[in-house]
Amino acid sequence: MKERVIATALVAAMLIGTVFSAAGCSSEENDGKTHITMLQYKPEAVKAFEKMEEEFNATHDDIVLTIESPNDAMTVLKTRFIKEDAPDIIGIGGDVNFSNFVDAEMLMDISDFEGLSLIKQAYKDIDKNLEFVPTEGVYAVPYVANAAGVLYNRDMFEDNNWEIPTTWDEFMDLCETIKQSGQQPLYFGFKDVWTCLAPWNALACDLAPADVCRQVNKGETKFIDEYDEVAEKMLELLEHAQDDPFAYNYNDACTAFANGESAMYTIGSYAVPQIQSVNPDMNIDSFVMPGCDNAEDNVLNSGVDLQFCVTTDCPNKEAAYEVLSFLLEDSTIQTYLDDQNAVPCKDKVFELSPALDGMLDYINEGKMVDYQDHYYPSEMSVDAQIQTFLLDGSVEKFLTKFDTDWLRYNRDIIRKVQAYEESGGNE
Amino acid sequence: MNKKLSRNQTFLLITIPVLALFFCFNTLPLIKGLMYSFTNFRGFGSYDWVGFRNYADLFTDARVGKSYLFTFKFALLATVVTNVIALLLALGLNGKIRAKNTLRGIYFIPRILGGLVVGYIFGYFFTYILPAITGKGSMLSNTSTAWIAIVVVAAWQSIAQTTLIYISGLQTVPEDVYEAGAIDGATGWLSFKNLTFPLIIPFFSINMVLSMKDFLMVFDQIMAMTKGGPAQSTESISYLIYNNGMGGGQFGFQSANAVIFFIVIVAISVFQLNFTGKKEEQL
Amino acid sequence: MKKKNKVAATTNWPLTILLIAGCITVIFPLYMAIVIAFKKPSEMTNDIAGALSLPQSWSLENFAEAMRVTDFWHSLSYSILITVATVVLAILIHSLAGYAIGRSMAKSKFYKISYLYIVSGMFVPFAILMMPLVKQTAQMKIDNWFGVIICYLVFYMPMNMMLYSGYLKNIPIALEEAAYVDGATTWTTYWKVIFPIMKPMHATVAVLTALGTWNDVMTPLVIMSGKGANTLPLAQLTFQTQFGTNYNLAFASYLLALLPILIFYLVCQKQIINGVVNGAVK
Repeated sequence: MKERVIATALVAAMLIGTVFSAAGCSSEENDGKTHITMLQYKPEAVKAFEKMEEEFNATHDDIVLTIESPNDAMTVLKTRFIKEDAPDIIGIGGDVNFSNFVDAEMLMDISDFEGLSLIKQAYKDIDKNLEFVPTEGVYAVPYVANAAGVLYNRDMFEDNNWEIPTTWDEFMDLCETIKQSGQQPLYFGFKDVWTCLAPWNALACDLAPADVCRQVNKGETKFIDEYDEVAEKMLELLEHAQDDPFAYNYNDACTAFANGESAMYTIGSYAVPQIQSVNPDMNIDSFVMPGCDNAEDNVLNSGVDLQFCVTTDCPNKEAAYEVLSFLLEDSTIQTYLDDQNAVPCKDKVFELSPALDGMLDYINEGKMVDYQDHYYPSEMSVDAQIQTFLLDGSVEKFLTKFDTDWLRYNRDIIRKVQAYEESGGNE
Repeated sequence: MNKKLSRNQTFLLITIPVLALFFCFNTLPLIKGLMYSFTNFRGFGSYDWVGFRNYADLFTDARVGKSYLFTFKFALLATVVTNVIALLLALGLNGKIRAKNTLRGIYFIPRILGGLVVGYIFGYFFTYILPAITGKGSMLSNTSTAWIAIVVVAAWQSIAQTTLIYISGLQTVPEDVYEAGAIDGATGWLSFKNLTFPLIIPFFSINMVLSMKDFLMVFDQIMAMTKGGPAQSTESISYLIYNNGMGGGQFGFQSANAVIFFIVIVAISVFQLNFTGKKEEQL
Repeated sequence: MKKKNKVAATTNWPLTILLIAGCITVIFPLYMAIVIAFKKPSEMTNDIAGALSLPQSWSLENFAEAMRVTDFWHSLSYSILITVATVVLAILIHSLAGYAIGRSMAKSKFYKISYLYIVSGMFVPFAILMMPLVKQTAQMKIDNWFGVIICYLVFYMPMNMMLYSGYLKNIPIALEEAAYVDGATTWTTYWKVIFPIMKPMHATVAVLTALGTWNDVMTPLVIMSGKGANTLPLAQLTFQTQFGTNYNLAFASYLLALLPILIFYLVCQKQIINGVVNGAVK
């Protein structure tokens, strides 16, 4: 009796298995249409992308577009590459992953795509600089960007008649004034190490050369010479933090700022939705990190948050371009902006979130520099190293280690860069 | 089964397919992983062979060394804490108590809660509640106490599973053992030491191995509680392997780390099993 | 040392009270989770009173929204399917393996080595297996649920085999010999005598395996790589994005996902205790 039950269970299990494996071999697409699959890494924007997909398919008879927005998309994307089942188009950030994909020859040169002319030059330059070894081609269409600096509580500033600082001294004075009024100038969430990078990047834009990492790779300079001022000013910022900033995480800091527990928050525009989820009526504005002693020298820290790349194995380049052109249409961008808080990379005026008011001039003038951490290899964990440094306080120790680690973690890239330099690539 | 198979033949017929399955989905990928440890593979795209460079680097990398120290310190304390509490809890939950099912159910809940919930709640506890009680700073922002906070959370979660295994082990101890013991006057500690414990030694050794292994491979609690901080003081080996190997571009290097780590844990576990195995034979 | 396991027909009240008091370590975090699951994001504060206070209204809105976002019934059914299939196969296959290997390893070197070989597989960090497994399952065209189930069967084999063979150490071999005398084969003896006796261990294995598969994100994520339906933990990733986490919805969703497995545990643990009666065969 028992045997029979078990045998049946076994057979049933096998059957289920067969059904699953059969279902796994997806049906071949024989409808005579070109199929384009796109994978994008922002699950929070899934609604916008569903709308875009629907619109595209309604207006195109010969191409069927499928947009996937999986959770943990970067892991999914890497497994797709392993399976040699890459999507035709990928929507990713302009960060070190992109640099790695270009370097590993996973992406197609799309320099003949006409839509590129519609994009602001500053963002195309930012993407270009992300290549480890400069190439001839173009590998991404920048779509939207985000910006970082200092977010502030507009109501608190108006109530106290505080002025927006434009130089480092003004900024430090302001922090002092706020503290003396019995309020908290800054609130950090340094328990989440990545938040250490927000003020770091913004200061580095002002104080270090934009291509410092590339210079180091070429052997022209050292971080200890370029980053010392950035590091010193990080320590100064820390003096205006709440008690024990390493005990609180990003979420704590967002909540604290939203509840008016601090006047300012050194983070990017990307934090605005999280802050407003706690306090939907909050009046947030931003200003550019005033790291320099001269107001004109400050630049905005802005990087590409979402860009589209075509993968090397995509068989239908024309159809992929068709999709890219559609994505760059004003109405499509507007669909995205209605759903997400972002800065479009297209060279045209769109209405932006009021939280970006203080950065608008810089955006329109293209006076901006990419996040430095986009050049850092993630396994070097610069964010954790900054946290270690802030706890320890020794600039020299930190930057010496930074220099040694850099050479170690970038060994293969440096070798490539130097081979490229020797072959006279830098004409 | 038409023809009668001998006992040994039957065992062989069971064991061979099982071994084959295991080889296909564990050893085979492991061998491929071993291969990657001799490359500078990033997890995708092209790669070069680098010989033993990854292994050489491994032994000179201070960060890796630090992660080994942290992981062992952590695993040792957590294993002891978990097994002591779980054994007491199992004895208690197996005792003559009221509301047995409800109590067993409640003590099992920690194991089911996901990392996000555990991370948030204990993060809150260590950041806001505990400092308010003790008047000291947060344990999680101090490099000398953060690891203890992780021990607390990891033990809290894994006691459930360890207790469950002890409880099922206690089911193999026949009631009459106690009765016989009671006649001889063995009660409490003596009864446990001389009668119960020897009978559940197989489960004790399983639990020691399982919890040692789980804690050596600690990852979820690190991600939920500190993400390796403060000041990189709680980076576990698995954390490095996963974060830098999968998330970063160090797939080849971290594969080498994983290979060494695998050898180390196997050595520890074989030692543990041999040790408790001898104990079993003695008794 | 506490006095326990004394032979007494009456309830051990001090022990009961002690255990109930200990529940606070579970109830308190659970209370926080429940309260947060009912709150709105705007009710979240950074002070203790705020975190522990009751929500302004006990509306089920978060739960409804969480169910909608995760496509709850759909995801739940895939999670159940994968978990149940894994558990059933694990009980059948791993108990057999534990029996064959566990019973023979004292006498035969081959089985001793097989045992150590499989147990050592437990210590392979998943990170090193992941990429090769992804490639292998894709080549075998089982980069779907079936592949996930197969992977689980292999991942949990070491632990389950250890548990089964450990349990068998306390089951006298004389039980089997009695069956042989009646002319039964090893195979039928196993199913008729040994398999039923191991009921408490089946329940234990079922709970531990089910828990591992129920909460697992990584295996289905990389093996199915975003194709096909989500399991519950995969769907729950949606609450955490790069720059924000909706804790309220997430907690509601986690509490919903906790219920089925808790019920499963309560059902199984009855079997663990019932086993005493059956297992006490002499």
